[in-house]
Amino acid sequence: MAGGHVQVLGRGLATMARGAVDHPGPAVVATVAGVVNGLTMIVGAAVIGWATDSLVIPVLEGESVERALWWQIAGAILGVSAVRALTILLRGVATGRVQHAAQAADRRTLTNRVLGLDLDWYSRTPPGRVLDAVVGDVEARWLPMIMTFFALGMAVMLGVAGVVLTSVDPGLGLVVLALVAAVTLANVGQQITLLPRARAAQEARAELVSIAHESVDGAEVVRTHGLAAREVGRFGDAADDLRDKNRRVGAVAAVFDPLLDLLPGLALLAVVWVGARGVDAGRLSPGDVVEVAYLLLTVSIPLSVISRFLAMIPTSVAGTERLDRLGEGEPRRLGTGLHEGEGPAGWQLRGASLDRGGRTVLHDVDLDVRAGEVLAVVGATGSGKTALVDLLTGARPPSAGSARIDGHPVTELDPRTRVRTVATTAQRAHLVAGTVRENLRLGAAEGTTDDDLWAALALVDVDELVRSWPEGLDTPVGRRGSRLSGGQRQRLCLARALLSRPRALVLDDATSALDAVVEAAVLDQVAAAAADGVTLVLVGNRLGSIRRADRVALLRAGRLVDVDTHEALRERHPDYVAIVDAYAAVTP
Amino acid sequence: MTRRAFPVRLVAVVTVLGLVAGGGRLIAPLAVRAVIDDDLDLSTVDRVLPLAVVGVLVAGLASWALHRVVVTTIERALASVRRAGIEQVHALAPATREDLGHAGLVSRLGPDLDAVTTFVASGGVQLWGHLCQMVVAAVIMLVFCAPLTLGVVAIAALMVVALVRLQAVVARRFDEVRRAFSGVADEVGEMTAGIGLVHATASEDRVVARLAAASEATHAAQRRTLWPMHAGMALGEVAISTMTVLVVVGGTWWAAGPLDLSTGDVVALVFLVTFFVRPLQGAVQSFSEAQGALAGWRRATELLDVPLPAADRTVALPDGPLSVRLEQVDLAYGDAAPVVHGLSLEIAAGEHVALVGRTGSGKSTVARALTRQLDPVAGRLLLGGVDVAQVAPEGFTARVCVVGQDPFLFDTTVLANVLLGRPGADEADVRLVLERLSLLDWAESLPDGLQTRVGSRGESLAVGERQLVALARTALVDPDLLVLDEATSGVDPATEARLQSALAVVTRGRTTVTIAHRLAAARAADRVLVLADGRLVEDGPHPVLAAADGPYSRLFTVWSDDHLLERNPIP
Repeated sequence: MAGGHVQVLGRGLATMARGAVDHPGPAVVATVAGVVNGLTMIVGAAVIGWATDSLVIPVLEGESVERALWWQIAGAILGVSAVRALTILLRGVATGRVQHAAQAADRRTLTNRVLGLDLDWYSRTPPGRVLDAVVGDVEARWLPMIMTFFALGMAVMLGVAGVVLTSVDPGLGLVVLALVAAVTLANVGQQITLLPRARAAQEARAELVSIAHESVDGAEVVRTHGLAAREVGRFGDAADDLRDKNRRVGAVAAVFDPLLDLLPGLALLAVVWVGARGVDAGRLSPGDVVEVAYLLLTVSIPLSVISRFLAMIPTSVAGTERLDRLGEGEPRRLGTGLHEGEGPAGWQLRGASLDRGGRTVLHDVDLDVRAGEVLAVVGATGSGKTALVDLLTGARPPSAGSARIDGHPVTELDPRTRVRTVATTAQRAHLVAGTVRENLRLGAAEGTTDDDLWAALALVDVDELVRSWPEGLDTPVGRRGSRLSGGQRQRLCLARALLSRPRALVLDDATSALDAVVEAAVLDQVAAAAADGVTLVLVGNRLGSIRRADRVALLRAGRLVDVDTHEALRERHPDYVAIVDAYAAVTP
Repeated sequence: MTRRAFPVRLVAVVTVLGLVAGGGRLIAPLAVRAVIDDDLDLSTVDRVLPLAVVGVLVAGLASWALHRVVVTTIERALASVRRAGIEQVHALAPATREDLGHAGLVSRLGPDLDAVTTFVASGGVQLWGHLCQMVVAAVIMLVFCAPLTLGVVAIAALMVVALVRLQAVVARRFDEVRRAFSGVADEVGEMTAGIGLVHATASEDRVVARLAAASEATHAAQRRTLWPMHAGMALGEVAISTMTVLVVVGGTWWAAGPLDLSTGDVVALVFLVTFFVRPLQGAVQSFSEAQGALAGWRRATELLDVPLPAADRTVALPDGPLSVRLEQVDLAYGDAAPVVHGLSLEIAAGEHVALVGRTGSGKSTVARALTRQLDPVAGRLLLGGVDVAQVAPEGFTARVCVVGQDPFLFDTTVLANVLLGRPGADEADVRLVLERLSLLDWAESLPDGLQTRVGSRGESLAVGERQLVALARTALVDPDLLVLDEATSGVDPATEARLQSALAVVTRGRTTVTIAHRLAAARAADRVLVLADGRLVEDGPHPVLAAADGPYSRLFTVWSDDHLLERNPIP
């Protein structure tokens, strides 16, 4: 237990030390200010002592003192105080700078790391968890920093006081040492009790934020299905749980704060009690006792500051543990291949399988997509079409076999090269919070001009609409494109894909929200663009896509069943017929 | 939130505990002073010190109790604000909720209130003990020497005035910090929601830059709190030294004259004043740190003060299938120009209507109005003959349902998501509904059948599968007005066709409004309403409109040329 405690303390202190080293400027200022501040406590006590001996007592006993002494003493008290005030200000500001800079650096590191994780990690990690880590865990981790330099100064002061006292009287040094030992022991007890509770409280907080996130995201479902009471119950339970966990953390402080507060007072009473007997027996002078009593009163302040600092360590350690755990995931392997080709690119899939969330969603696919062809991908809902898209676009590496484009594994291409090679629009038309221009330029080829943007918008028949907005390309689209209709979002996404001027284009049901007229026009435009040297994969069960395809790939239950022309598939596969003839069947 | 009456008992308990705990800190030093003044006389020592030990222990107990009471009270308050907060989130008008932003709402319910917990846990409780100790010290000083004590208190009061002004600045700056944190939450939300796009467009650099900017804005806002906050603390130190000078130098100066103090009195005062200023130092520091917590509290409670949709809605919707009537309705988003103008239309109870039109013609906006996500800026919307503006929000639950293109699923199993449709339903009910929709085979083909987990937001399922789950969920509700807004756009046509005929059976007798670009759905409806630029331009059964030379027949021709093999075979 105690060994574990030392380790916890060591980890906490190491974190603070690293924070200080990473931000040396403010850390040096805070250290110097902290130490000077600690020393002013000793000087301040000396000044008061000097004032008492040379001014207060003589004057009150009727002696006359020099007029200048009055001013000197007032000046000395105020002077020491000015230094203290200055060090308080500098220490506080510099400490804040170290703390906030360390938090900012952590947020940066953390988001970079999370950004580098693979898609599986995202689908199994609640978004609220990431949010909680970036805000809550980072704050928790750096909480003790606020007391670090204060405590450091106090520790130095304590050390100096101890040395001075020991040199005067080793007995006094021992008294200080004994008190420090007692306080340290209490701190050990506090940290051992606190760490598991701090962990539990932070876990409860993360859970609460995750539920809040989900509940707010699903607010429309909650509203229409009348689930508000359920959500209030669910979130309320999480809030109650957090309340209880925080109370358990508070219960530790409730015991140890008063204890640490009282120890010096009790020590004082004990010393005086023993000392009085010593005086009575003639072993001690009253002066000795007074000296020790004053000393104990003085060291109680630094001890309480140090205790407050140490009490924050378990929170920090628990926060660090959580941050370390969050990063545990399969980092996404970023390729480095710089293969740049000319003209349409073709794919070669060999025995390619794909696992998602621990299950195989696509089995053993062998498929050649010829450079320059238009391939339609057809299959029932859940047959693995999006999994195939993931392999073709390199969103996920195959879990077995290989997926190559122009002979190069797709996921091993350098990301920029990959974007120039293959572009895609996802089934869910996602826009980023920003302007139309910002959205269009995501992944756009270098040297793309506004004219190119307008041309792409014209291709998907949305240029007039954008022109009709007063801010044109600078119009903000709202969070996740919330200000636009589904069809408008989808067309902007299509324009975006075209703007990267790829050698191959994969459209995953990218026209589902378009009306028939626009859909036909867009598909014609895209197919025409494709004829100029883009391999085109149209995923979805739309006859409009099949009509414009050279060949059709049929998926069934996670397997590629057949790749051939529409006519051939129609003859061989009843499920294919069911899909392409579905609408005819309901014709009145 | 209901404003509670002033908690007299709580304040009394906390005050007594605070005075005992804070005053108790003075016991040991005062007792020691007393025995030293008595030249460490053993009988005094044996009389005073045991009493002092008891006093210190009692103070310790009071301090323990104070901690428990304060932490419990505050944590309870936080939990109840959170509970009230989530209730509020789900009671807000949808447009207001979107304006506040998802990340903003999550921040208010989570991290903003955590600032209070952090403050209370790391020194907030002591603030009260410090204040109480100051009161006790001031009272004792008053007994020794009223004039000097009044001087000390006057300086303290001056400092408090200055500090309050400074704290107003600190408070504003902490408000900015909380807002900046909300901005970070926003960017993190954008990142997690759009990670697929980020990967696909290799735009990691952009996300990194935006996150860094949001984080840097927070960092900058935090830094702006530092100078005024610590200036306050430094100010406290200046006040303290002025008090010390007043007592030491002033006390000595006037002792022989107007004050008539003994040496012991002055020394005692010098000693006592340190017990006044030490907690003052602590209190000034805690007070400054409290601003961060208060800013968080303000943001959370601000949410509770956001006005809710008018509460004077008391009318209930009539039972049974609901008719729909729009009278000169204008619909607009925020302050923007209306996207639907003067729309009047009527749908009979139990009728199945298809709403069609070009992209951006206002179909989805009408759907949002029917399901009360959007209130008309002009005109009236009547359901079952009742103006919806007079119906309480709960009145729509289980009566009016919408299934959208991208339905939201909770991060649990398929079964649990469907079960949400009807309280008290069980797995057998779910199976029955799936069977009636001819979706049972599909559900059982999922890796873990109905127990398959759908992942965060349902992302583990394909879009079409999410739509199927949402349809099953809604079918279990069995609403009286069903709005299907591209509800099967991601489902393959064979499944869709089966589903449509199953839905037709399930929704028979229910009022159904279908919005679909796949005009197969329009063919199956009793009547087709065609919108263009937010206006109703055609209204009639499919065969009539298809035969007329209007917008619908043009749409239908293009669609069937592309989508009907018998009409346009693929060579």
